[in-house]
Amino acid sequence: MKQRLGTGFKVLFLGIYLIVMVFPLYWIVITSLKPQKDIFTFPLRYWPKQFTMDNYVNIFKISKFHIYIGNSLIVSIAAAFIVIIISVLSAYVLARYKFRGHGQVMLAFFLTQMLPGFISLAPLYLMMSHMDLLNTRYSLVLMYTVGLIPFSTIMLRGFFQRIPGSLEEAAMIDGCSRWSALLRVIIPVMLPGIASTFIFAFVQNWNELFLAVMFIDDESMKTLPVAMNSFILKFDVDWGAMSAGAVLSIIPTIFIFAIAQRFIVEGLTQGAEKG
Amino acid sequence: MNNKKVFILSGLLPALALILAFTYYPFLKGIIMAFQDYKLFDLRNVHFVGLDNFKAAFKDPKFFTALKNSGYWVFCSLILQFVFGLALALLLRKPFRGRGIFQGFAFYSWALSGFLIGMIWKWMFNSQIGVINDLLLRLHIIDERIGFLSNPKWAMMSVIIANVWYGIAFFAIMLLAALQSVPADLYEAADMDGATGIRKLWNVTLPYILPTIIATTLLRAIWIFNDPSLIYGLTNGGPAGSTHILSSLMLDKIIYAGDYGAASAIGVIMIALLLLYTIFFLTVTKAEKVGDF
Amino acid sequence: MTTRNKVSALVLCGALTAGLLAGCGSKNDSTNEGNGGGQVTLRMIESLTSPARTELLKASIEKFETANPNIKVDLISPPFDQADNKIRTMLGAKEDLDVIEARDLNVSEYVNNGFIDPLNTFADSWSDYASVSAIAKSLGSVGDKLYFVPNGLYERQLFYRADWFKELGLTPPKTWEELYETGKKLTDPSKNRFGFSFRGASGSNGTTDAITLAYNGDNVNLEDSMFTKDGKSIYSTPEGKQAMELYLKLYKDTSPPDSVNWGFQEQVQAFTSGVTGMLLQDPDVIQSLTEKMAEGTWATAPLQAGPGGKALLAAGGAGWAIPSDSKHKEEAWKLISFLSSPAENTEFSKKFGLIPIHTSATEDEFFKSGPYKTLLDMSNDSAHFVNFKPPFQYPGNGQWGQLVQDSGQSLLLGQTSLDDTLKKWADFWDKQKAELKK
Repeated sequence: MKQRLGTGFKVLFLGIYLIVMVFPLYWIVITSLKPQKDIFTFPLRYWPKQFTMDNYVNIFKISKFHIYIGNSLIVSIAAAFIVIIISVLSAYVLARYKFRGHGQVMLAFFLTQMLPGFISLAPLYLMMSHMDLLNTRYSLVLMYTVGLIPFSTIMLRGFFQRIPGSLEEAAMIDGCSRWSALLRVIIPVMLPGIASTFIFAFVQNWNELFLAVMFIDDESMKTLPVAMNSFILKFDVDWGAMSAGAVLSIIPTIFIFAIAQRFIVEGLTQGAEKG
Repeated sequence: MNNKKVFILSGLLPALALILAFTYYPFLKGIIMAFQDYKLFDLRNVHFVGLDNFKAAFKDPKFFTALKNSGYWVFCSLILQFVFGLALALLLRKPFRGRGIFQGFAFYSWALSGFLIGMIWKWMFNSQIGVINDLLLRLHIIDERIGFLSNPKWAMMSVIIANVWYGIAFFAIMLLAALQSVPADLYEAADMDGATGIRKLWNVTLPYILPTIIATTLLRAIWIFNDPSLIYGLTNGGPAGSTHILSSLMLDKIIYAGDYGAASAIGVIMIALLLLYTIFFLTVTKAEKVGDF
Repeated sequence: MTTRNKVSALVLCGALTAGLLAGCGSKNDSTNEGNGGGQVTLRMIESLTSPARTELLKASIEKFETANPNIKVDLISPPFDQADNKIRTMLGAKEDLDVIEARDLNVSEYVNNGFIDPLNTFADSWSDYASVSAIAKSLGSVGDKLYFVPNGLYERQLFYRADWFKELGLTPPKTWEELYETGKKLTDPSKNRFGFSFRGASGSNGTTDAITLAYNGDNVNLEDSMFTKDGKSIYSTPEGKQAMELYLKLYKDTSPPDSVNWGFQEQVQAFTSGVTGMLLQDPDVIQSLTEKMAEGTWATAPLQAGPGGKALLAAGGAGWAIPSDSKHKEEAWKLISFLSSPAENTEFSKKFGLIPIHTSATEDEFFKSGPYKTLLDMSNDSAHFVNFKPPFQYPGNGQWGQLVQDSGQSLLLGQTSLDDTLKKWADFWDKQKAELKK
């Protein structure tokens, strides 16, 4: 009886939550399939009178959406990978060792999250200019990496702390060096944490607008958020293009999420085996 | 011993070097603006003014409204995001049919860019052409249109709703990953003791994922406090300044007045407040759980 | 997957990252600058970007490049929302830029910071300069120097629902008072219909200024338009108070209550979706109205006058300027004069809904019909439609928008009295004037 009540509550909660989450998505999708003239009609239409793919055709015709999607993928994935590599190292050290300055290092990571970005923007722009990185994708990969290292380190450190130190000690007794113990024994157990940190890093990069606007000039290197932002006009918003762009921008993230999800689930089963 | 030092150094060096060079260095170069008369209209006349910008900030009644709103905004958004996020993570922990698809739809909000979320919700909240009012009217839940973003009584709540909608996914993703790593034998032991579901949650699950909970709530609070984009996109601080938080007020100083000095001063005050909050939070939650500072 | 497989997967990921990064480089070789005589690459940046407008600009630039084979133009098109911020950052960092789009509202800032050069010497030897209208010249000038050549002008006019007007037998209002009366007749909250597309959030000072200027009428100092001829703020006069009383009524009786916190998006969307019947806007919206509304459902009329029979209007716009740090000023001017030639400018204005800058172009049939006709009518009737210069020379002009939004909203919500608000606004301008004189 209690069991059934629990299941009922679970279904109810998840159902309501799903409706609340999905409705805005439904509204965007429907809008993207309406002809321009029908987007702002009153009374509102919950099902289009007429379906059209015009908005999707248009965003590829008037702006080079395939190029922007490609750029966003390159920049977001590259930065997310580098972030994971760098942060796994720093997180591991911070989780396993006590040393002088440990607290200060942690504080240095935390503090970065509090700094308002606009203050650094002009000096950063000059730095990019001096390093000759303006108008290259390197500038974005670099800055996205830098921006996500603190968060990823803090998160991954939390995951490391939960893994008993006996695990890699055993491996080291078996003759592994510290590095290979990390690589072969710890990281596989860490996969859920790494996967979710990766998703997080990817999504942040995928959506970043301000640095991308500042650092990139050429059409051929623009990213998706910049292209979407340009559908806001002086006295209007092109909702047809905006909604079509939004739908397209969600698809790759859901895809990446599905891939990363596998690692999370796999980590679970592995944890069970160990148990 | 020496070996250990090398390992520590080589592990931390890439992360620290990048942060020092590309976060702290430009920030320190920029922060002097807080002590300058630095206005976009008059860049050839930038000069030091001591603490004038800070004095001006504390004299402005809008500053205190924004300060109060910031507290309300962070507290409400954070609590609701966390509670729903944790509930979702717990419910999604065990596999069921369609879980993958469910997660896709449950978490996509996190994949939208901030400015887009502001625009979508602004449109939906509109009392004349917005879909929320229309739905509520059709379902006969309300008789009169609600000015979600124009009525001072509703505006702050509406913005918080949008923020919660956006942020639940973050907690759900992070907490779900943490839950997956709870070793099964801990539950087995609890089962043998005859613990019930809620007891297990309280005694086994939550303590085990506590480091993640502390780290995520701490960081998320900082982000919510610092991010003006939703407020800016949805209400622009209005009506009559009633929804300004400190970060949107700071943005206001830049966009309308081009006054980087005033904006930076507010930025410095915000950092000080966040530091106080962090120290307080870590003391209360007993820092050694997240990590010994 | 075994552990070994996972390790190799990680190695693979690393390799993939390296591969992706290799694709990141390829910086364009725009560095072949000024090697004496050879090919010159101009870097140009626009501000009022829209995907459609960028296409038009590119087509013009292509024509220019064909005519001048030794000049290549790189056009940078940041999103409108972020463009001025980017332009400012680039100018501040002394990045290579040769042509920038300056706007009426920020040209004083650029000049004040020494970012852009006056164009008078170039313009004096420009054969097409004679036909540039006086308004266009005045728009691009700060003090007595020309700093940008406008690429088109816009003026505020009334857009109204022709079908609703016909249904109710109404004619377009000529005065603000009539606008209010007409608005009241159109308003029926039970049908979710309202007379006026009000906006109380960003840009609300556009409406308060327009109505208060009209009421102060002949008494306004046209060169310093926030003040009357005897130097008092337009918000401090009895006429100013009358105007703002009507403004309040306009909101309460003819506008959606929600509009107290509307910006331009909601204002235009309410009109296109058939919630409101009248909209005051610039001609840039013509294109979206044409796209989104059925033909014949909307029409245009001139801006409303005050009790004295005069409407005060200002031409707005943006145009091309040359940064002081440009190394190719001659070539930059060549491009500007090409884009500003009667042929190019008229074509651009037609396609983008602007008033051309050359007086000769208004002869074009295109501007004598349809939604553009009212604009022409207004400029031909200088007895009733008087041009004034907006207060862009004041550093505090941006704060004005913020002040009207904040205190205007609390006025509309009934939190403060009209007298207090007017006093605050008048004080603001008195202070601005005192500071400018310093």
